[in-house]
Amino acid sequence: MLRLGILRTIAVTLLALMLVLILVIPLLPFYDPYTQNLGGSLLPMGGRSFDGKFYLLGTDTLGRDMLSRLALAGQVSVMIGLGAVFVSLVIGVALGLIAGYFRGPLESVIMGIADLQLSIPRVLLLIAVAAIIGPSVTMLALLLGLTSWVSYGRVARGMALSLREREFVLSARTQGASATWNIRKHLLPNVMPQMLIVGSYEFGQIIVMEASLSYLGLGVQPPLPSWGMMVSEGQTYLALAPSLVVLPSIALFVLVAGLQFLSQAFTSENEVVGAPERSKP
Amino acid sequence: MVHFLAKRIMQSVLTVLGVVTAAFFLVRLAGDPSLLLLSAEASQEDIARMREALGLNRPLIVQYLDFIWSALQGDFGVSLRQNVSAMSLVLERVPATLELALTSFVVGIGLAFILGIAMRMTKARWLREVIMWVALTRQAIPIFSFGLLMILIFSVWLRWLPSLGRGTWSHLVLPALTLGTYELALYLRLFNASLATEQRQDYVRTAYAKGQGRIQVLLGHMLPNALLPLVTVAGINLGLLLGGTVVTETVFSWPGVGRLIVQSVSQRDFPVIIAGVFLISLMFVVINLIVDILYGILDPRVRLA
Repeated sequence: MLRLGILRTIAVTLLALMLVLILVIPLLPFYDPYTQNLGGSLLPMGGRSFDGKFYLLGTDTLGRDMLSRLALAGQVSVMIGLGAVFVSLVIGVALGLIAGYFRGPLESVIMGIADLQLSIPRVLLLIAVAAIIGPSVTMLALLLGLTSWVSYGRVARGMALSLREREFVLSARTQGASATWNIRKHLLPNVMPQMLIVGSYEFGQIIVMEASLSYLGLGVQPPLPSWGMMVSEGQTYLALAPSLVVLPSIALFVLVAGLQFLSQAFTSENEVVGAPERSKP
Repeated sequence: MVHFLAKRIMQSVLTVLGVVTAAFFLVRLAGDPSLLLLSAEASQEDIARMREALGLNRPLIVQYLDFIWSALQGDFGVSLRQNVSAMSLVLERVPATLELALTSFVVGIGLAFILGIAMRMTKARWLREVIMWVALTRQAIPIFSFGLLMILIFSVWLRWLPSLGRGTWSHLVLPALTLGTYELALYLRLFNASLATEQRQDYVRTAYAKGQGRIQVLLGHMLPNALLPLVTVAGINLGLLLGGTVVTETVFSWPGVGRLIVQSVSQRDFPVIIAGVFLISLMFVVINLIVDILYGILDPRVRLA
C-alpha cells in the first residue's frame, strides 16, 4: 500500500534533521537557552530585539531564544526517552523470555500482571503518580519505563514459546545447558532484532507521553525546557504569536514521525505495530 | 463461555482492586494527610487530634481495609478545597467526558470506514497513498499539538468554530476531530489488512463466479466479515480514548473528568484525583469487559472455552 522505500527515506531524513537540532545546534554560537532578554520578548521568526540582537526562530515570552530552547528541550526529551526505553526493554525482555521459556505458573503470573497493567490507562497512572510523588527527569524516565514493558514482554514471550522447541535449544538442553545459559545465549540474540523494532515504535510513544505530561505541567519542570511545556506556555499567545506553539509542535512531529515511520517501514504489511491486543479467551 | 466470563469478571474485579490499592499507597506516600489539612503553625496536640479524627492512629492494615471498604461504596473522602464529597464532584463531570469520548469514537470509526472503503474501491493509486499518508501524519502529531493547530486554523484564522467550553454542537466539533482522528492510521491499516484477508476467501471467489460486481461483493459479502476486527480494536480503544480525554479536555477547556483531575493536581486535592482516576479506570474496565463479551456473540467462531 505504501512504498516502503519512500517511508524509510523520509524516516531517516526526519531523524537526521532531529540529530542536527539536538547535537549540532548547541555547538553553534546561538544564544544561551536560559538568558532572558526583556527588550525582545515574543519576537517573530527572524526578529531583532531593541538591543539589535538577531533571533533566527524568534523569542518566547521572556525573550529567550527559541532555537536554542528547542534544541535543549530535544536533548531532554531524547534522554528521557532513551532511559525509559532501556528500562522497559530490559524488564520486558527478561520477563517475556522467562515466561515463555519456563511456562507454567510463572508464565501465568507474569502475563497476569501484564494484563492488569494494560487494563489501566497509562496517562492516568502517570498523572496520579507524578501528582503525588512530584516529577523529576530521572523519576519520569523510570516511571515511563516501568509502565511500558508490556509490549516487549508479550512479543518476547511469543517468540520464546516457539524458540524453546527449536532443535538448537533442545540439543543445548540435552547436553546439560542451564536455563540461564539457554535464555542468554540462544533466546536473547534471536529476539533482539524484533525487540528493537518494538523499541523504535515505543520510543515515539514515550516521547509523546512525556510531552503530554509536560504539557499538563506534570512532566519536565522549569527552568529545564521541554517541547510540551513550551506549547503550554505559548498557548495563551496563540493568536498573537502562533510560532510559540507551532515550532515545538513541528519539532515533536519530526522526532515522533521519524520513529513511527521507521518502525512501520520494518514491519510487514499485515502486521500492525501498536495494535492493542485483546486478552486471549 | 461461562468459564471465560467468570475469568474475565474475576480479572476486572482484580484490576479495580489493584487500582484502589495503588491509590491507597500513593496517598500515603504523599505524606500525612492531617498535615495537608492543618496550617503550618499547628501544634503537636492539634496534629494528634486531627490524626485521631481521621483515624490515622490505627494500624496500617486496618486503615487499608477501611479505605477499600469505603472506596467500594464510592466514598473517597471529602475534597480538600471544596467541602463536598470527592466522588460527587467527579460524577458531575462524567456526562461531559462520555459525550466527548463517544462522539470521538463515532468520528474515528466513521472516518476509517469511509476512507477504508474509498481506498478499496478506487483504482487510483495516488488517492490510496494520499489517504494513508494523511493518516500516518496525523498519528505522529500529539493530541495537544493537533488540538491547538485546529484552534489556530478554525477559531483564530477562519473564525468558524468556538475554541473553548461546552454547549452547542459546534463546541464539540474540534475536540471530537482531535481525539477521534488520533488512531485513524491504526484503524485504516487494520481495516485494509482484514479486507485483504477476506479477499482471498473462497466465498469471495464464488460470489465473483456467480457474476456479481466488485462493489456488490465488497459491500454485501466482504464488509460484514472485515468489520469485526475493526470493531474489536476500536472497542478496546474506547477505553484508551478515555485516557486521551484528559489532554483533549485541557486543550479545549472541556468541563469533564480529565480536566477536573488536572486542575485538582495543581491544587493538590488528592481525594478528587484518586476518585477521578478510579472512576475512569472503572469505565475502562467495564468497556473492555463488554467488548470481550460482544466479540464472542458477534463471532461464533471465537472459542470461549
